[in-house]
Amino acid sequence: MKERMDGIGMSRILYIQTSGLDTPERLYAPFVLGMTARAMDVEASIFFMIKGVTVVKKGEAEKVRIGSFPSLKEVLDQALKAGVKMYICEQSTQLLGIPRGDFIPGAKIAGAGTLNDLALDADSTLSF
Amino acid sequence: MDDNLTPDAELDCVGLFCPLPIARTKEEIENIEVGQVLKVEADDPAAKEDIARWAKRAGHEVVRLEESGNIITFWIRRKK
Repeated sequence: MKERMDGIGMSRILYIQTSGLDTPERLYAPFVLGMTARAMDVEASIFFMIKGVTVVKKGEAEKVRIGSFPSLKEVLDQALKAGVKMYICEQSTQLLGIPRGDFIPGAKIAGAGTLNDLALDADSTLSF
Repeated sequence: MDDNLTPDAELDCVGLFCPLPIARTKEEIENIEVGQVLKVEADDPAAKEDIARWAKRAGHEVVRLEESGNIITFWIRRKK
């Protein structure tokens, strides 16, 4: 295990969600993996950026349901409850031309410095 | 935490969004001496997490952090 700046020993996984509401089949994996990581005593973070920010706009995850899966909102809430940390690149809204703000509670607004820091501290980074 | 922190320089990042608060803070901290304090004001909510993590990575110390309304104020001591 890598030595980290804060000296905490738990393994860490970072999931980067770049996909948005137009590809709903790509949206479940970070939540499911994050929850599973928590069950494995692994620290898990999801960073929503680019189209990924559309997923964490208030009221949007409720509208996504694929196949026999529960709604995306249910899975998102379970991930938060399991202790998965969530970060939102609000600046991506400018890229997409959509309004800033109005995100789900429980996630932190963050930016480039935070993503770089999380990636450097993670044992593994997965991008969706 | 030092209660009587008089900054040696001040930086206004209000109205600037990621990544500008970090870029401007890095520029300004290089204009003060090691041991001196830079006060930075920002209103990008991302700056709270970003500047704290930048400071840790860059080896500087956030000696004080205040939030008032949507303004986040950092006092950062240049450490190297």
